[in-house]
Amino acid sequence: MSLLSCSDIRFQYPGAENVLFDGLTFSIARPGFHALFGPSGIGKTTLAKIISGDIGPLSGQVEATGEAPCLYTYNRERLPGWSSVGRHIEKSTPMGRESLRDDLIRQFGLSSLMGMRFSTLSMGQCNRVNLLRYLLQDFGLLIMDESLANVDEATRQTILYKIKATFPASGFLYISHNVVEVARFCDQILVCRGVKKSPRIKCIEGQDHKKDQPLDEKRLEASMLEIMNAA
Amino acid sequence: MLPRRIYQFLIIYVLGIGLLFVIKLVLNLSDYVIPGPLSVWHTGREEWYRYAADVMDTFGVAVVGQVISIFMAVAVGVAGRKATWFGSFIKVAAYNVQAYPIVAIAPILFILLGDGFVTRLFIAAMICYFPLLLSVIGIMSEPVSDIEHFYRVTGRLRWQLEIKIRAFENLYKLTTVISGSATLAMAGTIVAEFIAANAGIGYSIRIALYQSDLSKILVALFVIGITLSIYQGFLEVLGKGVKKAWTGGGS
Repeated sequence: MSLLSCSDIRFQYPGAENVLFDGLTFSIARPGFHALFGPSGIGKTTLAKIISGDIGPLSGQVEATGEAPCLYTYNRERLPGWSSVGRHIEKSTPMGRESLRDDLIRQFGLSSLMGMRFSTLSMGQCNRVNLLRYLLQDFGLLIMDESLANVDEATRQTILYKIKATFPASGFLYISHNVVEVARFCDQILVCRGVKKSPRIKCIEGQDHKKDQPLDEKRLEASMLEIMNAA
Repeated sequence: MLPRRIYQFLIIYVLGIGLLFVIKLVLNLSDYVIPGPLSVWHTGREEWYRYAADVMDTFGVAVVGQVISIFMAVAVGVAGRKATWFGSFIKVAAYNVQAYPIVAIAPILFILLGDGFVTRLFIAAMICYFPLLLSVIGIMSEPVSDIEHFYRVTGRLRWQLEIKIRAFENLYKLTTVISGSATLAMAGTIVAEFIAANAGIGYSIRIALYQSDLSKILVALFVIGITLSIYQGFLEVLGKGVKKAWTGGGS
């Protein structure tokens, strides 16, 4: 059975003239780091919310394997301001994951921010803190909606390599507009296409690059080209 | 903050009383209708202590009434925040009942409960309860999605946390509403005393009205205003202190 399987999804926002998805069917075969790519306003966030169960489709089925839940995180999430970032992360860490937490804090470059309040952080720092607390939870599939927006490229790369190395058995769906990034780091890239295109989602193989692996520049370029053509 | 409240009141009071003197001069009204500045000053010196004690009596009732109404509004607002049948019922009831002037039922309360402390307290509490309730329901029923999302999807969003998040995010609104409700509580108590009570500054104003003594009324208004300004300033300082302590000194 595949990690995620969506069949015949139909969705329309109340009051909207057009149907956003009609008969949308796709699947993600295996755990790993995958992407949802497409131009702004095409319905990536809506689809992510349908997959995570935040909103229900008018019809169709979303099936995910495993007991662990599907979590959806987005880049505008905030932590409450009444205590420090470190205290919040500490309180939201499940028992037995303290060493993972400390390791991720160090790898994400957040050690010096633990005593600060969330409202005093930069946008990139906010996004890293938010992503970190989700990674500490139980999940079968984590949908990261622009979760690394405003984070510099080098740090983003470190974080993506770290996630891939630490959670090889989990599923990730990374929503990003960065074609180089998704082509390089992701295994399967689900390209969301315009309403008039068929199929609405095209699946493209990415390079799924890992830290100690040589980068195949030609394959990367081919993936990027394929993604751009599909979109 | 506290001095600013007092300055604001003094400016409004001086402007108001100045306008009365201008009207007196322009229309050449007698001291019986609008007393002169000297008469007001003398009355002030004579009645200051008595009126201050009356205002303190009223103020005590208003503060207790306000505290009761805050607790009631928070309790009912928290219970009515959900989009359930009960929540909708509470909201509709609150909107409808607050549209009816509580002062209008004051005579019934005086008939049933007498003209003592309890009636004044009840009217004061009711007058500031409904506006407070509407604000609390509005704040508590508005989700703070950017913060609550994580706790909801990870199964950590208990009702206490939900309320804490919404109260924290709307702390400025809450402290402003509570500070503003002090005026309502004081007004409610004075109106209750004015209608039928046997104590408080409203009762003294009623006597002054029967004597057609505008000087006494102006002095009473001054004492009421200055007391309320100090109290509201104190509430604002308290609200700022709570916010500073809760946010760790941040904005």
